[in-house]
Formats: sequence, C-alpha cells, structure tokens
Amino acid sequence: MKHRLISLIWVQLNMNFAISHSRYYYLEKRQRLWEGVLIVVSVIMTAAVLAFGVYKLADAFYSQASLLHQEALTLTTGILAAQFLMLILGIALVIAVFYFSDDLPCLIPLPLRPWEVLASKFAVILSNEYLGLLVFIVPIFVAYGRRANVGIISYTLSAITIFLTLPVIPIAIASILAVILMRIVGFTKRKDMLTIIGGFLLVALIIGVQFYVQTRLPARGEEQEFMMQLLSQANSLVAILGRQFPPSIWATWAISEAGTSRGLLSLGLFLGVSALAFGLFLALGNRFFYQGVLSGFEAPTARRRTFRGKPERIRFSERTPLLSLAVAEMKLFSRTPVFVLNGFIGFLMFPIMFVVLLLLGNDPEISGLWSSLVNVPEFHSIGTLLVGAYFFLLTAFSGIPFSPFSREGKANIWFLRSQPISGQAAAMGKALASEIMIVVGAIPGLAVLQYTARLPVVSLIIGVSLGIAASYALCIWGVLLDMARPMLDWTDQQKAIKSNLNTVIGITTGIVVLFLMGYLVNLLFKRGCSGLVAQVVSGTVIAVVLGSGLRVLQLFGDRLWSSIEL
Amino acid sequence: MKAGDACLLKLEGVSKTYRGSSNKAVDNLSLEVAPGEIFGFLGPNGAGKTTTIKMIVGLLMPDNGRIIVDSHDIVKDPVSAKRSIGFVPDDPNLYNRLTGLEYLNLVADVYGVSAADRAKRIRDLLSMFDLASEVNDIIQSYSHGMKQKLALTGALLHNPPLFILDEPMVGLDPRSSRLFKDLMRNHCDQGYAVFFSTHILEVAERLCDRVGIIDKGRLIACGSMDELRKLSSETDESLEDIFLELTLPEQVD
Ligand SMILES: Nc1ncnc2c1ncn2[C@@H]1O[C@H](COP(=O)(O)OP(=O)(O)OP(=O)(O)O)[C@@H](O)[C@H]1O
Ligand SMILES: [Mg+2]
Repeated sequence: MKHRLISLIWVQLNMNFAISHSRYYYLEKRQRLWEGVLIVVSVIMTAAVLAFGVYKLADAFYSQASLLHQEALTLTTGILAAQFLMLILGIALVIAVFYFSDDLPCLIPLPLRPWEVLASKFAVILSNEYLGLLVFIVPIFVAYGRRANVGIISYTLSAITIFLTLPVIPIAIASILAVILMRIVGFTKRKDMLTIIGGFLLVALIIGVQFYVQTRLPARGEEQEFMMQLLSQANSLVAILGRQFPPSIWATWAISEAGTSRGLLSLGLFLGVSALAFGLFLALGNRFFYQGVLSGFEAPTARRRTFRGKPERIRFSERTPLLSLAVAEMKLFSRTPVFVLNGFIGFLMFPIMFVVLLLLGNDPEISGLWSSLVNVPEFHSIGTLLVGAYFFLLTAFSGIPFSPFSREGKANIWFLRSQPISGQAAAMGKALASEIMIVVGAIPGLAVLQYTARLPVVSLIIGVSLGIAASYALCIWGVLLDMARPMLDWTDQQKAIKSNLNTVIGITTGIVVLFLMGYLVNLLFKRGCSGLVAQVVSGTVIAVVLGSGLRVLQLFGDRLWSSIEL
Repeated sequence: MKAGDACLLKLEGVSKTYRGSSNKAVDNLSLEVAPGEIFGFLGPNGAGKTTTIKMIVGLLMPDNGRIIVDSHDIVKDPVSAKRSIGFVPDDPNLYNRLTGLEYLNLVADVYGVSAADRAKRIRDLLSMFDLASEVNDIIQSYSHGMKQKLALTGALLHNPPLFILDEPMVGLDPRSSRLFKDLMRNHCDQGYAVFFSTHILEVAERLCDRVGIIDKGRLIACGSMDELRKLSSETDESLEDIFLELTLPEQVD
C-alpha cells in the first residue's frame, strides 16, 4: 500500500499532465493520435530551438565575463533571473493552484492534514517549473560546464541537485505570501477584488524590494574603487550581485566549485535554506490554508436587496447580442481573480518597474542612454512604431485572446454553444472583449512610455492606432486558434489561461512576428526610408493580417464552432 | 400521431458514435414531437438520452440522419433552429460570477427579446419560482435548485416553440416541481411542445402525451400510454412494469 501522501501527489501529477486522460484518448481510443504526436513533436522542437538560443547566449556571456575573470557570473545571472521570474509569476500561480482548484471540494472532506494537500499541490507547481527550467537553466549549466574547468561527475551531480531544488525557495516565498494574503482576504466581504488587488500589491512589493537592493549595491563615488576590486578578484562580482539574494551565490558556488569544500558548503547552505523555506511554508500553511479556502467557498450575497420581494423594481438593459456577449465576457474575466492576476500581470509589471526605478534613485547611465535615444531625430517615427509594438507584445503575453473558449471550461461552454449565435458572432464577441480589456490594460504602461518619450500627439495617435489594429489582428487569430482547439478540461483556472498550449503558441508567435517586423523596419531604415514609409508598411502588413483573419473567421468560423462537441 | 409536416421536432434515422468508441450511443433513432405535445424520453442509465438531447440542441453533431427543429435543420441552419429551442441541461452550470439578472439579460439579448417583453417574462417567472429577491446575487451563491430555476427561467424567456429538458425534476422542491409541471402543460396548451428525459416514471405516466423508451441507443418503444400497454404482456400495467419488462439487462454468463 502506498503512503497516502505519495498517492495524493501521484493523483495530482496525473491530473496536471493529463496522463490517464491522454492514455485514454490517444492510446486506448486512438482518438486524434496524430494531433497528440504533432503537438508533442512541435513542443519539443520549439523548446529545443529556444534552449539552443539560451545556450548560445550563455556561451557569449561567458566569453564576455571571462575577460573580467567573472566566469561564474554566467551562472549567477541565470539563476537570479530564473528565481526572480519564478517568484513574480509564482504569486498568481500559487493563488490559482492552492485556492481556486476545482478539486478542493473533493480534497477537503478527505481525512488529510492541510499540509499534505499543500505539499501535493506544491509538487504540481514544482513539476511545472521544471519544464520551464529545462529550457532556460539547463542550457546555461551546460554552456558553463563545457567552458569552465570542472570535474565532470561532481559538476553534473551538483548541477542536477541545484536544478531540482532551484524552484523551492521562490515558490515557497510566493506561497507564504499568498497564504498570508488569502487569510487576510478571507476576513473581508469582497474577496475576489481584494485577492486581485493584494496579488498585484505583492508583485509590486517583490519588484520594489528587488530594485531597492539592486540600486543600493555600489554606493556612489566608490565606483572607481569598485571596478578595481572587481578586476583584481576572480568572481567577486558574483558575491556582490548575490548579496541581493544570497541563495543565488550559494547555488552558483555549489555548481562552479563542485567537489571542493566551498562548493559542498554552498550546496549544504542552499539545500538547508530551501528546506527551511519549505518547512516554514508547510507550517504556516497547515495553520491557515483551510481557513482561507473555506472562506473562499462562501460567495457574497445580498449586494442589493432593495427590491426584496418586489420584482417590478428589477431593472433591465437591452443590448445588441455582440455587445452583450462582450460585456458578459469582460465581467466574467474581471471577476475571476486567477484570470485577472495572470492576464494583467504583464500590463502592470512594466509600469511598476518603471515607477520603482523612478522612486529609487535615477541611474544616470540608464537615463543618459534613454535621453540620447529620445533626442535622435528619427525617434518620433521609431517611437510611433514602439507604441504599436508595445500593444502587440502585451496582447501576445497576456494570453487573453488565446484562451476565451478554454476559459469557459467543460462546465460552461454548453451555454454559448446552445445559444442561437453563429461561430462568427461568438468569436467576434470574444475578440471584442479581449481587445477592450487589452486596451484598458495598456493605459498605465502607455502613460509611462509617453511620460518619458514625450512623443508628439500625432505620433502618439498613429502609434496607438497601429497598436490597436495589430492587437486586434492578433486577437482575431488567437480566438480562431482557441476555437479550433479549446482546452476545456482543467481543474484550476491557471491551466485555462497560462498553462494552455494555445497561450504558449500565442506568445511564441507574437515574439516571432515582432522580430520579423523589427527586421523589416530596420531594413527599411537602412535603405534610407523615412519613418512615414515604415509606418505605412507596418500598417499594410497589419491590415493584411487582420483582413485575412476576418476572412478565415467568415469562412470557417461556423464549422469550427460546431466542431466543439460536448 | 398528428401530421408529420407540422411537427416541431423530427428525428430521422439519427445515429451517433462517440469518437473512438465501438458502440453506437444512439442508433438509428427516429421520432416526432407534434405541437401541443409533452414527450417523455425514458431509458436506463447510459441508454443515450443525454446524447440524443445534445444532438437536438446542437451540442453534438449526428453521424447520420437529420434533426429538424421547427422546420430548420439543426446541422445546416443551427442559428435559426436554436432560436426555436429553450434548453436546460441535466446539470446546469451557469456562469458563477454573473448575477442572476446579468445572466437573464445576456440570454434575452442573445435571443433578441425586447426590454418590455423581457421585463414581463422575467418578473412573472421569477415571482413564480420565488427567485426575485436573489436575482441580484451572484449565481455562485445559489443552491442547486435555485440554479436550476434560473436556468429554466432563462430558457423560457423567448417563449420557445420547443422546450427541451434533460432530467428537469432532479433538484426541484415539491412546490417548484408542481409549478413546473403546470408550466409545461401551459406551454403546450399554447401550441408549443416539450421534450424531456426523466427517470421518474410516475411523472412521465401522468404528464406525458407520449413517451419514448430508449435502450442501448435504440428506441424500443414509442407512443401514448395506451399504445405502450398493448406492447406488454398484461393490460393495465403501470409504466414502471412496462419499462422494467422492456429494458431487461443482458444475461451475463
Ligand atoms: N462524452 C462522452 N464521450 C464518450 N462516450 C460518452 C460520452 N457521453 C456519453 N457517452 C457514452 O454514450 C452512452 C450514452 O450516454 P448518455 O449520457 O446519452 O446516457 P443517458 O441515457 O443520458 O444516461 P443517464 O440516465 O445516466 O443520464 C453511454 O454508453 C456513455 O458511456
Ligand atoms: Mg443523461
């Protein structure tokens, strides 16, 4: 008999990776086997290309760093960035998995202790993080290992250990913050809204602390001395950088000096702190987790009981079907904390970082670079395109237009599908709602951008128009993609919006398209074309993509719509 | 049976096999529902009732056969066909984060019900189901039966010619279920039709003008109570006896 914790973790992993589900559909029923194979192959290929890019980058970084005798900086930079990202994105992830899973009503009545449920959910999060780390950290470890003079066995062993434990500290910190937040939110009446606000405040707090520590590093006036010290001592920059987050140096040294006593000591320290963070999280969670979950089960009622028993006083609004669908979609999205936290995090990270940067001392180098850029004569036309690119990138990273049907889930999709609306109308409603939310979400970042770049009004208007058109084109194609292969089977909403393959495809496509457009515009400028030409060309490309998307929707929308079977 | 042309729902040789499955969930099913008729759809668990209903309302595509709703083909012209349908599934999951009223307004907008009409319909139905004071709460806070009543209200807003329900009595309290039965009767008296599946045979016996019994995807009996009685060995048997007699499980050796 398996221990209950082991079997609990196994069930959670099974659901997370849809193991039984895929085995049933792809192997036993041979249902759309080719699709499964195609997905697996293309995901592996994309991941391989990405990993190779990271490897090349790390290799180049190593060459640069070795000029300063700072080779280990390659590792530290990668580890720090990975931990920082896991921490920031971890807040939304942890809140979704711990507090908004559909399986909680089944798990809580079982004779399990809260920490056991938490530990199994934690395992799910870790396993998902490994997938990302496989692409972004392993190539760095490999690049360093091939260049540096390391003992192969001890290096590999410690690199694997660090790989496996790397997500523990950031996810444990995110979890501790989330458990505290949800306990506090549980006391209040407007839980959903406060969860959203609290989640974003935590993200802002983390970014703030990060920047605060960073800007404090080399005190002003000591820079000369600091540089001398850097050059004289191998890998001293690692120690300095690592001061903002000591575990990252321990992880670095554990790998780069694997086999030495310092390496072992660092490994021990890193594992010890990881265990401590995890233990603290379990202890805290055991105490507060269920209270937070249970208070989440209580939906607020009686917002307005003014017309109690008097139905004649109920108010009605009348809208066109398209607008009504879009409004309902926006309400549903904005009232679901997991969707808002995941979808809007990109919209807020950029302005938050900027404001933090403004508040915590101006870096003269960065602002100097920026002002010299802004004063270039072509900047207005480049700035216009930058505004457009900003909208486009936000759309791609938000995941909002790539998951509107997936977000409905198995539970709710029957409703739209049984209403008298065509596939085209359903898609247009979803695309409209996505576009409105993205435009609203883009405003804070746009304000920040305009505050620094001070584009002329005309350039700004052109940029925003290009941006909205580009974003709408992506929305149409994204909604089409999600209509063609919606992911309706999920237990936590996180899976519908961010861990959804459609969203991953959307982000990847967005990056590729933006890269190609940048290349094209660069080519135009090199040929001596004016900014206006670049804008007209971009506008034409956008119009073609948008037009073809609308046409495809017209031709295939209804067929795709009725192929969503329940 | 009334004239074939005038019927509100017509299934002709409808079959469905779920992808990857070897058995037909619905096998060559034909039936008609005439205006003014309450049609009860009976059958053991897994017989294919829900599958049939999903095909009628356009949630599933039939592999073969035709389904005509109020003279519109559900596959060829789904939007027009769906306009004639009011549908409540067996487990009505509604948008948890909308209020009841927001949900009803959404439905009314989609069906193009005018503000005046919807005001009257919604008020009537809500006060009938005693749901008026909760209509501004979010649906998440509703009990199972309240959700079901809200779904029924939504499905009736546009006064659909064909009312389709999958096991509608399951969550309703005695008073609501009585009100609901009267409502079905009223609906049919306007010349409309009701098609519903149920396991409660007494209800089917008393309420339905005609019943169909489906087993392993095949319609094994269809007709009025009197017609069904003729199929069985003894006269004046109850529907329960007939049902149990007709749907004997296969002998396992
Ligand atoms: N989504 C699905 N995928 C594959 N097979 C299904 C699916 N839904 C139902 N089936 C199969 O189709 C057959 C008919 O199921 P259906 O749900 O129509 O039965 P039912 O008559 O509604 O039963 P119940 O009285 O239990 O509601 C069953 O054998 C069932 O296993
Ligand atoms: Mg059923």
